[in-house]
This record gives sequence, structure tokens and C-alpha cells, in this order.
Amino acid sequence: MEEIPARTSVEKIVNGAQLGSIAAATKTPRRIGSLRDFLQLLAENRQCITWPEPVMPEPDIRNIAVAASNDVQGGPAVIFDKIRGYPGRRLAIGVHASWANIAVLLGRPKGATIKEMFFDMTRRWGGKGAKPQLNWIKPEEAPVNELRVEKDINLYDIIPLTRINEFDGGFYLGKAAVVSRDPRDPEDFNKQNVGIYRLQLHGPDRFSLLSIPSHDIGRQILIAEKDRRPFRIAVMLGNHPAISMFAATPLAYDESEFAYASAMMGQPMTLTQSRNGLDILAETEIVIEAELMLGERILEGPFGEFPGSYSGVRRAPLFRVTAVSHRRDPIFESIYIGKGWTEHDTLIGLSTSVPIYSVLKDQFPEVQAVNALYHHGMTGIISLKNRYGGFAKSVALRALGTPHGLMYLKNLIMVDDDVDPFDLNQVMWALSVRTRASDIIVLPNMPMVPIDPSAEVSGKGHHLIIDATSFLPPDNVGPDMKLVNRPAGEHIERLMQQIRRLQEDGAK
Amino acid sequence: MSAKQSACPRCRGSEVEMNYQGKEDGRVLWSILHCLRCSFTWRDSEPPESIVTEKRDPFFNVNPEDIDRYPIVLAPTP
Repeated sequence: MEEIPARTSVEKIVNGAQLGSIAAATKTPRRIGSLRDFLQLLAENRQCITWPEPVMPEPDIRNIAVAASNDVQGGPAVIFDKIRGYPGRRLAIGVHASWANIAVLLGRPKGATIKEMFFDMTRRWGGKGAKPQLNWIKPEEAPVNELRVEKDINLYDIIPLTRINEFDGGFYLGKAAVVSRDPRDPEDFNKQNVGIYRLQLHGPDRFSLLSIPSHDIGRQILIAEKDRRPFRIAVMLGNHPAISMFAATPLAYDESEFAYASAMMGQPMTLTQSRNGLDILAETEIVIEAELMLGERILEGPFGEFPGSYSGVRRAPLFRVTAVSHRRDPIFESIYIGKGWTEHDTLIGLSTSVPIYSVLKDQFPEVQAVNALYHHGMTGIISLKNRYGGFAKSVALRALGTPHGLMYLKNLIMVDDDVDPFDLNQVMWALSVRTRASDIIVLPNMPMVPIDPSAEVSGKGHHLIIDATSFLPPDNVGPDMKLVNRPAGEHIERLMQQIRRLQEDGAK
Repeated sequence: MSAKQSACPRCRGSEVEMNYQGKEDGRVLWSILHCLRCSFTWRDSEPPESIVTEKRDPFFNVNPEDIDRYPIVLAPTP
């Protein structure tokens, strides 16, 4: 894998003229330009199916999505094209719902381990060499503009919406990437934000957007309302699969999600301008152009959220749809999200872990890996080379100060570098033999994700650090602290393969 | 639209508008309804646990008259 840089300024590449001069670090075998390309690639890898029978919008689509994603390792994306009452409409769900699908996206074998994909992404994330490859095409050339609706807009007429969980307050766009600009610095491309927020429809051409002040768009909404400036957004539906991963990634305020996604893929990404002035993916399926209704709030929720519980009813900002552009026969991409492990977790697990690793590694090269897969990092495991007794606690505290750590990292488990943080059996071993009850830190009344049901009050609660690293001076290391040398390495791996072959031969 | 469906299953409000009808071969299969009082939206073909007041979990009832119960997520500048 060549190293692919990410932290560079974005260059506009008009008509692709500069593409040849950029050290394209393409390792993904085939260019993925759109959701359609990816669904095709998934299908070729037997990771995408089309549901053969007619389905009712509820509860069939929810049930099938859950059944498919219960196979976290190998479940397929599911396309529905026979939804009762939505003739001709298509819905895709579970596109990122298994590790096999994530592996296909990263150009790796379907059986790639999470750990392998994590290290692949860290190399792509922090590497040096190429630049993000973004090129712009004219709006009239963009596939997303094949069809456009500006009058009598009814989103239900275009999008086959279904209720995601049974007590949701309405029909949600759960996997929409929202593009917005800084109201006070609208020309700065890097301050343009792309984020996934839950959007609830309120009638045919209105939707609410749930955000909080710490989200980029939350800041932008507050500024727009304070200044009484128009605030326009573009809601992209059915997106390039890398944008779906990065729109939920905690980047700094002035870092572009488009640039990161392109650098991660090592492939060009084609953008265009929406008619209301935002940069959007030219090959996205549907773009909803909308404007904030300044100062208006509407009852929003509940919504079955990623902690596995419903977030309550709140009063949220309201947007008015001004136009919709879409491809012919657009594919609406949805997501199932709820209790336990869902597509939400495979979608953003790695792109949550890697930025935390990247920030920590800059200051603590001892950090080896970060597993923040669990529910947007509400629980994370960090492995490091321990330097001295208590060192891991300092690293843990630094992790809480990373952009994502501020609110999301709630339970942190620190382990040594001889423990694979992606192997929970090994983590449990470290907890069993290396944790002293006095090696935990409870940080009371810290900021928390408002929808965390374990909060003391919404948005505030306690964080936990468990230091499960080995004892080093000045710790009292004890008289019998000598580890067993467990046989490992290539020889053992060859033996494992041989044993598997013998097992399979025996079954024939 | 039946009488039962014309009231909101969540707040019992009667200001309900129809947003869309799903059709096949000209026949209406279902309607999407929206409560202008509490913002609940539903499809009249959904399982009764979601759309019939008596079968819904009352925990999820909403009373728009008790508006202070529902926090404002981004308080607008006065």
C-alpha cells in the first residue's frame, strides 16, 4: 500500500487537468465513483442482493435489514425494487452493514480482519505523497441533475420512505449527508461541512434537522440565526460509500470531508455545484436543496438511536425544501439503526477509531492501535507500549481531549501492546490479570452525548478509564510477574491453516 | 380515510393532513398522514403497535400543550 496523504489543502482540479501530475495512490482495484458503482462491485463479490418478493414498507424492510445485518462479518446490502405502493422506486439498505462490505470498499479481500483494515486506514489517513483528488464538473453535466423538481415538491413522491423503528416520530432520512457552509465564511471550501444528521419529514416539503451546538452544522445554524442570514443546505442521498463513512467522522472544523474521502480512496471524486451554491457529489442519487426557516423549531422525535434507545422528543430547527435534483430511477439509500450492533457501527467504526489514533500517535508514538468501534466510541480500547507505571492513564486523558473524545469516548480501556485491542478475548485477559481495582479513574460530570441513556442529565455524565496495562516501576510489580511465552508467528499461522484444511478434508 | 385514522395516534389531535398515497394500478394501497399538532407522521398500513393509539406503548404519547417538556436543541437567538 502506498501512503496517501490527507492533511493537505484542497486544490481545485478543473476538468481533471492536473490529475496526471498527482501521485495517485490508487490501490483499490476499480474506481468507485458512486453508490451505483459500489452496489455493482458488491454484487460481483456476492455482497449485494436484490430482494425477490414484494414487500410492505413496514415492517418488512426493517425486518429484512436487521436479518441481513445480523451477520456482522458477511451480511449483504439489500436492494428493494418491489415495495408495495412505491412502484418503480428503489431502496438500498445495509450497504455498509458488514465488515465484508467495508473490505470491498477498501479494496481488500472479503475476509480481511478489522485490525488489517484499521492499519490500512491509518496508512491512508496520515500518509505523505498524493493530494486529495477532487474535480468539478458543470452542473448540466452532472448525473444528479438528470431530473429536477422545483414546483409542487413532495419528497414522498421521489423517495420511498419507511419507518426505521416502530416508535419513531415519523419518516427519517437516516443516511443523508448534509452539506453546509460557514455563514460568515462561505467561500472557504474547507469550512464547508458534510455531516450525517437525522432528518425527519414534516409534510411534503419540510424537514427538521437534529444537531447540537458542538456539531459543525449546529454552530452554523446558531450563527445564521444570530446574524439573520439565509442558511442553505444540500442534502445528498445515495452517496459515494466513502462519503457516507466520512460524513460521520470527527474532523476538525476546517477539514473537508470530500478531501478526506478522496484521499482515503486514493481515487478522484467528482463534485459539482448545487443550484443553491453548495459543493455536492456529481454522481449522488438525490440532492434536496433546502433553506433554514430562521428561528423556527418543531417537535422532532423520538428516533431509535445508536445507543439502542429512543431519544426523546425535542424541538429542532426546521428547513423548507426549495428544489430536488435526482438521477433517473434514483436509489434511495437507507439504514437500519437501533439496539445492539447495526449498520451504524460498521459504517463509522473504523472512521471513528482512526482519527483518535492519528491525534494520539502524533504526541504519543507509543500508541499502537485504537478500537473505538463500540457505538460511536462510547467504549474504546487503546493499546500502547507502556513506558512506566501510570503512563496509560495520561494517554487516556489525552484521548478524552481529541475532537471525538470530548463527548463520545466514555469508557476507555487501556492495554499493552501485547494485547490486540480488536480481539476482545485478549482484552478480557488484560482486564482479568492486569487490572487492579485502584487502577480505574472515574471522571464525574463530564460532557456526554446527549442521547446517551446513562447520562446523569442529558449531555453530562461520568467517564471511566480502566488501566489494564502491565505493572511497571514504580508499581509494585510483584514476585511472580513473568509472562508465559505463547507460541506465535508465521509457523503457528501455517499450522492453523493446515489444521483448517484437515478439518475441511475430513468433512468431505 | 377511516374516522380512527383521521385522529393522530400519538396525541389524538384532529388536525391531520394527508401527504401522499401509495398506489398500484390506480388503486390506493396506503396513505401517509401527518399530524399538524405533534408532528407525528404515519402510514395507515403500518402494524397497529405503531399507529393505533390503544395498541401503542403510552410511553411514546406526546402532549404538545405541555411544550416545555420538550427541550429546544439549538436555542435560537431571541
